[in-house]
Amino acid sequence: MATEETTSDQLGQSAELRLQKLKGQVFEVALVAATLVGIVSLLVLFAQISNDAFQPGTASSTWFLVYFGTLVAPTAAFTLYARRRPAVRTANALAFAAVFGGLLLSFVTYAVVDALSPYDVFIYAFFASLPPALVLAYDRTTDKQTYTGPLLPVSILVGIGVAALVDGPISGLVGIAAEWIMYFGLVTVPAALLVAWRTASRRGRRTGAVAGGVVAAGALAVAVASISLGTNASLLVVLYSAFAVPTGYVIWRSVKTNPEGRIGVAGPFIILGGVLLGASIVEQFAIENPDSYLTPTLLLESWDGLTASNAGVYPQIVGSIIIVGFMAVLAFPVGIGAAIYLEEYAPDAGLRGRLATLLEVNISNLAGVPSVVYGLLGLALFRRTLGFGTGIVVSAAGTLGLLILPIVIVSTQEALRSVPDDLRQGSYGMGASRWQTLREVVLPEAIPGTLTGTILALARAIGETAPLVIIAVATTKYSPPSGLFSSATALPLQIFAASANAKPEFRHGVVPAAAVVLLILMLLMNATAIVIRNKYGRTN
Amino acid sequence: MSNEPESGVGSLQRSGFVVRKERLYGRLIAACAVLTILVTVGIILALSGRAFSFWSQISPIAFFTGTSWSPVIAESYGVLPLVSGTLIVTIFSALIALPVGLAAAIYLSEYASDKARSILKPALEILAGVPTVIYGYMALVYVTPLIDSFLPFSVELIPSGVPVLPEFTFVMPSLGTFNALSASIVVGIMIIPMVSSISEDALSAVPDSLRQGGYGLGSTKFDVSTRIVVPSATSGIVASYVLAISRAIGETMAVTMAMGMSPQMPYFPNVLRNLAESSQTITAAMVQIAGADSYGGGPTYEALFALGLTLFAITLTMNILAELVRRRFREEY
Repeated sequence: MATEETTSDQLGQSAELRLQKLKGQVFEVALVAATLVGIVSLLVLFAQISNDAFQPGTASSTWFLVYFGTLVAPTAAFTLYARRRPAVRTANALAFAAVFGGLLLSFVTYAVVDALSPYDVFIYAFFASLPPALVLAYDRTTDKQTYTGPLLPVSILVGIGVAALVDGPISGLVGIAAEWIMYFGLVTVPAALLVAWRTASRRGRRTGAVAGGVVAAGALAVAVASISLGTNASLLVVLYSAFAVPTGYVIWRSVKTNPEGRIGVAGPFIILGGVLLGASIVEQFAIENPDSYLTPTLLLESWDGLTASNAGVYPQIVGSIIIVGFMAVLAFPVGIGAAIYLEEYAPDAGLRGRLATLLEVNISNLAGVPSVVYGLLGLALFRRTLGFGTGIVVSAAGTLGLLILPIVIVSTQEALRSVPDDLRQGSYGMGASRWQTLREVVLPEAIPGTLTGTILALARAIGETAPLVIIAVATTKYSPPSGLFSSATALPLQIFAASANAKPEFRHGVVPAAAVVLLILMLLMNATAIVIRNKYGRTN
Repeated sequence: MSNEPESGVGSLQRSGFVVRKERLYGRLIAACAVLTILVTVGIILALSGRAFSFWSQISPIAFFTGTSWSPVIAESYGVLPLVSGTLIVTIFSALIALPVGLAAAIYLSEYASDKARSILKPALEILAGVPTVIYGYMALVYVTPLIDSFLPFSVELIPSGVPVLPEFTFVMPSLGTFNALSASIVVGIMIIPMVSSISEDALSAVPDSLRQGGYGLGSTKFDVSTRIVVPSATSGIVASYVLAISRAIGETMAVTMAMGMSPQMPYFPNVLRNLAESSQTITAAMVQIAGADSYGGGPTYEALFALGLTLFAITLTMNILAELVRRRFREEY
């Protein structure tokens, strides 16, 4: 301030100058206010919606004290400790991703496979993975030039076709086996293969095989133990393979490779332990819990339009996940392929160059088409032309897939564009062909950007409501979809339908809680995308 | 982008097998790209077939000039009340989003530190990422009661005693359960990031030499921002405005939930009454028809496609307009 005063003194401190300065300051304050107004009002609305969902006002002050002691204080202390130690923070971030990512992955896998019937999923997964594995094995053993690359997706499709044919006759046979064996095949086998492959690349094949064997044997032990205890063996096998194994692997690696920061792996367990300890103390001393609407009932039961305490959105959550997951399978290959064509293959001039310009303009226009219009396209395409039933998973996923296609294409294009041309030239200089360059050099560099964009597209899709309303997806169903051709429902649809319910326990309770679930799903995806972008982001 | 590795000299020619394989990959990938054209063609075919069959039953003149929309009860298919509903929401949300978005863009591009920008930009993006059904719910359950607690609101702008001038009182009536005001507010919040991010790109593209020139002539930062940078980026800013308005026109769930389902011609001259009362947009009418499950066919069902085609035509025109503005008036630096 002092220096500015002197300069203005030298220039002659006129009233006009001071007025100018004031004007500038007012302008800047107004700009800041404008930037913040949207964010702040959204935060206020979020606060209200989560206040209605959690009802923290109804908890006793002891409840807050207990959780402050068990959860907030230790977490804060740990954060302060880790703040200035980058090694600890690295280990903590890895452990966090493994623990919470593993938990989420386990529950989502279990819920989805359980809804679609584990036997069917197993048969399809088996037949879809066998032919490509054979093709790959043939490719490894032969020196001849072969079409194995393009054959891989074809063989997967053939495998799925075979599975569809034999599913009926075989399912009776497979059905004899216990349910947990299906989960063992679906989750434990890939996990064991992954561990074996990672270990083999570091320690040689034999150690790798042993590590994979240990993982598989552990799953068998978990299954046997849980059967003898009479608990849900399937869920435990999934939890073991998708949560315990990656967590154990990450902790073991952190402790070995990062001795300075090894304390960091405790981070997620401080939070988990705090929650569990808090809950057990609250239970023990009969402390009053808040009358939260975000309860296990909400997450695990089906809808009840009359009694708020019985209402749940489990079928809606699983339906949303299945629809969005299948949509990703449909939309991503096409979207990424189109982006690769536009960025890497399309020439700049000539007839095909003009076609590429047309495609670009067309894609930017598609991105601006309102989502209801996509609903009409889905209605005409799936319902009228293909004659599918009302509101089945395939139609919903297809409609949303068309909707997010332009987003996937544009974000993949940006990722491809950010790969420096030197890398391509270097690869060509080594004699690689265009496809080899793409596969070995360009795509690996572009994967983080592509992932970020596609996850954001998924987050957009999970909240889309209008197209689903137009293609008449049911709002309330009492079980999750049992297959891709069975009718489904989605979480945002239930929120839309229930918003008309004027009962206070719905209007200021269950519906906000369901909205919080949807927001959490969406924010989780956004956070994942941001983490990927920050971790692998290119800065050129 | 067009690297030409295959153009080798004779001895460096790749084997025929590799060339064939490369060509196969190229074709597969080109097929993916061409599929996007098919989506557009599909939309136009899907919409126009049924829309024209609708217009062969209900004359397009009656459709586009009718002032009453009541497909089920009175079988009257005048689209004007729906268009006016859409216009009300679009205009008032634009009144919120366009100035706020531009100001945010100026702040982010000219004033904010790197750190502030790295936090504020993703935070603004979240505004566009929140599911619209949640915006609709928040408008219905939180925004409407909050605003209604300040209403009705009347100010005598010109008191009755003054000669010559007629008396004029500013009256904002209290809000109905469903109203256009809260719908416009949430739609406005939702489209802020469209304005701010595209405008910010345009502002950042203005070369620094122009700013330095301004400072060299003794301009203040305020003058440089408002008289040099913003005018230089006009084309980008206008394009962002058009795109944001197009998004507001196509917005569906928030207006369906917050604004209700009663199509109405606008009130004149008391414009504010339009904000306080329920109305219906084109998109909300589509949701209502689809939700009513009248899939037997008939004009009501086909009206869905006629509305869709109208909406598609409007938004397509606006998107092309934005693109043209951006190309035609782009300043080349």
